[in-house]
Amino acid sequence: MKHIVSVKEVHKNYVLGTVAVPALRGVSLEVTEGEFLAIAGPSGSGKTTLLNLIGCVDTPSAGSVDVAGSPTGSMSERDLTRLRLHTIGFIFQSFNLVSVLSVMQNIELPLLLQRSASARERRHRVEALLDRVGIREYARHRPSELSGGQRQRVAIARALITRPQLVLADEPTANLDSVTGTNILDLMKELNRTEKTTFIFSTHDARVWAYANSVVRLADGKILDRVSAEEAVRAASVPGARSS
Amino acid sequence: MRGYLDTLKVIVVIALRNLFASRLKTLIVGGIVLFGSMLVVVGTALVDSFDAAMSRSIIGSVAGHIQVYSATSKDELAVMGSMGMEEPDIAVIDDFAALKRACMTVANVKEVVPMGLASAIVVAGNTVDVVLEELRAAVRAKLAGEDVRETYEAEKDHVRQIVSVLAGDLDNVRKIQSEAAVAPEEIEAVARASSPGFWDDLERDPLPALEFLENRIAPLASDADMLFLRYLGTDPVAYQRAFDRVKIVEGTPIPPGQRGFLFTQGMYEEQVKLKVALRLDKIRKGIAGRGRTIAKDPELQAWIRRNTAEVNEVLLQLDGRKTRLFRDKLQKELGSGEADVAKLLTEFFRVDDGNFERRYRFFYDELAPSLQLYRVRVGDPLTIKSFTKGGYVQSVRLKVYGTFVLEGLEDSHIAGHTNLMDLVSFRELYGFVTPEREQELRELRAAAGLAEVSRENAEAELFGRKDEGASGGGRPADADAALRELAGKSAREDRFAQPYDPAELQRGEVLNAAVIVKDPRRIRETIAQIEAAGARAGLPLRAVNWQKAAGLVGQFVTMIRGVLYVSVLIIFAVALVIINNALVMATLGRVPEIGTLRAVGAQRRFLLGMLLVESLAVGVLFGGLGAMLGAAIVGGLHAWGIPAVNEKLSFFFSGPRLHPTLGLGNVALALIIVFLVSAVSSIYPGLLAMRVNPRQAMQTDE
Repeated sequence: MKHIVSVKEVHKNYVLGTVAVPALRGVSLEVTEGEFLAIAGPSGSGKTTLLNLIGCVDTPSAGSVDVAGSPTGSMSERDLTRLRLHTIGFIFQSFNLVSVLSVMQNIELPLLLQRSASARERRHRVEALLDRVGIREYARHRPSELSGGQRQRVAIARALITRPQLVLADEPTANLDSVTGTNILDLMKELNRTEKTTFIFSTHDARVWAYANSVVRLADGKILDRVSAEEAVRAASVPGARSS
Repeated sequence: MRGYLDTLKVIVVIALRNLFASRLKTLIVGGIVLFGSMLVVVGTALVDSFDAAMSRSIIGSVAGHIQVYSATSKDELAVMGSMGMEEPDIAVIDDFAALKRACMTVANVKEVVPMGLASAIVVAGNTVDVVLEELRAAVRAKLAGEDVRETYEAEKDHVRQIVSVLAGDLDNVRKIQSEAAVAPEEIEAVARASSPGFWDDLERDPLPALEFLENRIAPLASDADMLFLRYLGTDPVAYQRAFDRVKIVEGTPIPPGQRGFLFTQGMYEEQVKLKVALRLDKIRKGIAGRGRTIAKDPELQAWIRRNTAEVNEVLLQLDGRKTRLFRDKLQKELGSGEADVAKLLTEFFRVDDGNFERRYRFFYDELAPSLQLYRVRVGDPLTIKSFTKGGYVQSVRLKVYGTFVLEGLEDSHIAGHTNLMDLVSFRELYGFVTPEREQELRELRAAAGLAEVSRENAEAELFGRKDEGASGGGRPADADAALRELAGKSAREDRFAQPYDPAELQRGEVLNAAVIVKDPRRIRETIAQIEAAGARAGLPLRAVNWQKAAGLVGQFVTMIRGVLYVSVLIIFAVALVIINNALVMATLGRVPEIGTLRAVGAQRRFLLGMLLVESLAVGVLFGGLGAMLGAAIVGGLHAWGIPAVNEKLSFFFSGPRLHPTLGLGNVALALIIVFLVSAVSSIYPGLLAMRVNPRQAMQTDE
């Protein structure tokens, strides 16, 4: 199978005042197309930093990150933006919808930025996704008129509207109650299965690992291991396990 | 293309909804933009209309489109007068014909009018002088045996009336001030002139009595007025042809080839008219034209007080017959039994809102026909004395042909107080030697036996020949008789009444010339062409447009425009800062949204466009509203007209009301400024937004 993401010996340091704080220390990771991968670890373990690097919104201090065959380290800001627009979909912990746009307009936004689809095609794709995520009746609502779960469904639809090869979800269930969180994961899993879209999501919630094909466990900026979901869940249920 | 439009649409939607989401902020910023835009439209429309009106005033009154004068002049030309009362030092152009020839080679030049501007102070004779002159004429006629008894008695009565008025005046001064305020010799002179014995002496030996009256009594009457005359020496025919606003009010234009003087009607009324009559006119104008009331207006009240205090001006004109006539009429009008005409006049001039109109009509219908309303009447000669550039006094005695106005500028002192004189007299008054003057000097030299003496042979010529007098060679023995003969000839022939050759106007000296052009839009290039034509003709000419030629007056619009632009600049600088701050705050508050947009693939220019559209939307919406409001205000002002509340404004408005017009340029300027300010104010927030990293959208609680 082809690798959609290839991370090699990546280091990432943040500078706080005069002190360099390492967030990732020699991380290497390969993600195959169609995977549903969870990145697990406690707060401060480097999950979001790794997602940022894979999502091309940050650059590594050392090492390389290839996304969909493109070496991101040598790409310009403009090309990285284009890569994000055409290849990657984002789902945020806080949904991050544009508050002044309707549900439909939020979902349509990436297509408008691509400027490739006609109005009719855009409409068709938006409506299809509204049906898929089950919020057709809220198409003309503003985000502020929706519940948390509904907002996250809008965010998922927005992430998928460009038919990306890769969807990155940063703690997608963190702001949702457990039932809604489960529904969202079911939806993501369903889309992963039917659309063959690769999903990488970060979480520190052991209950959601069960949905993943495999779980990459991070601690202190390093990958501890990469295990199957069952192993990860099992390890999490053992008292004194490292993952939270 | 369609994709771009759809993207633009979403940018506009985001921008507009963001504006709507922060309504209060949008309204505050929009309000400032609206006000600024309105100010630009109204302000520039007013200034442009002002400019156009003033240009009509200046071009149409004296300046023409372009003024040409010698490039060697020390000062700059100021045809409307400069700050000081002195005329600017303008070098003489010796030959107007050469100047005109050079100017007429320029295709856009339609007419060249010769000019010279100067001023003089003229003392208009007082009433006593006039009356004494008439008495002297009557005495002369009586001595010559003519039957002038009735005239003689009337003039004598009039002088006695004047003496009695002066006696009353002196009494008043002694009562109000002190005994010492009046010189004893004045009291003595008036007492003597009031005594019956003095008038008996006049019957017996009139000449010494007349001399006494002229030397001792006339100086006590202080009703003589100094007239400050600013005059334009020109070719009267060419001037009237080029400046078609000139309209004769009374009398006739100065005929071609005749020396003469035309008062401007404003000056004539203001300075030559009887002061009490002038004040009555002003009060009427204030009430009828400007809706003022005597009861409330301090200026009208002040004029009334002055009229009641200055009845002597009328009294001095009254002889015995007129005194009786005035007494009868005033007693009847006022319903009074008072016998003192001075008191009756004082009472008459004490008007109020209720009786003013009736008394005004009464004055003009019943009293004015017996008075000399103007010190100098149309047809009278006017002696104007002026210092030449060399410091000598020159005088000309010109017939006053009439009065004129510049249509639309009747009330304006600035445009309406430059009187007209023929250029030949102007040259003489200015100190140039005219052909007539040359001829006169030749005759004088011949009569006195004077001859040219060269510097080298001066001693031999003057003192060398013992058989001749020290006064030089060739003085005939009958030189005195010849000079007397010449003086007599001069007295008999008033040379100022003699016509001159109109060709003289074209060939002598001028100070400046007004150029009327065919196409006023090409003034700038015409100026350059005139200067070049002058250089080719060996004439160093300086050509300036009407605005510059008008001096300080011409700079007035530039000054107002400057004030307006500074105000607009301040308002829009404030608007820029406020819009900028509002957008910065909005940008900082929307960092997660901007980060999200960047993360999902929005390029930086999308964000810049979003903020630009947001800013421009405020600008276009409120700026457009402001421009529309401004246009409506200008429309209203155009319909109603802005009244010229004083004479200065009537010049700047080129008439009694200014009807401002709106040009496309006024609205365009407002929208351009608003557009630029909006665009500029979004630059910094745009830069901030572009710096937002998409990572900021991904931040969690790690």
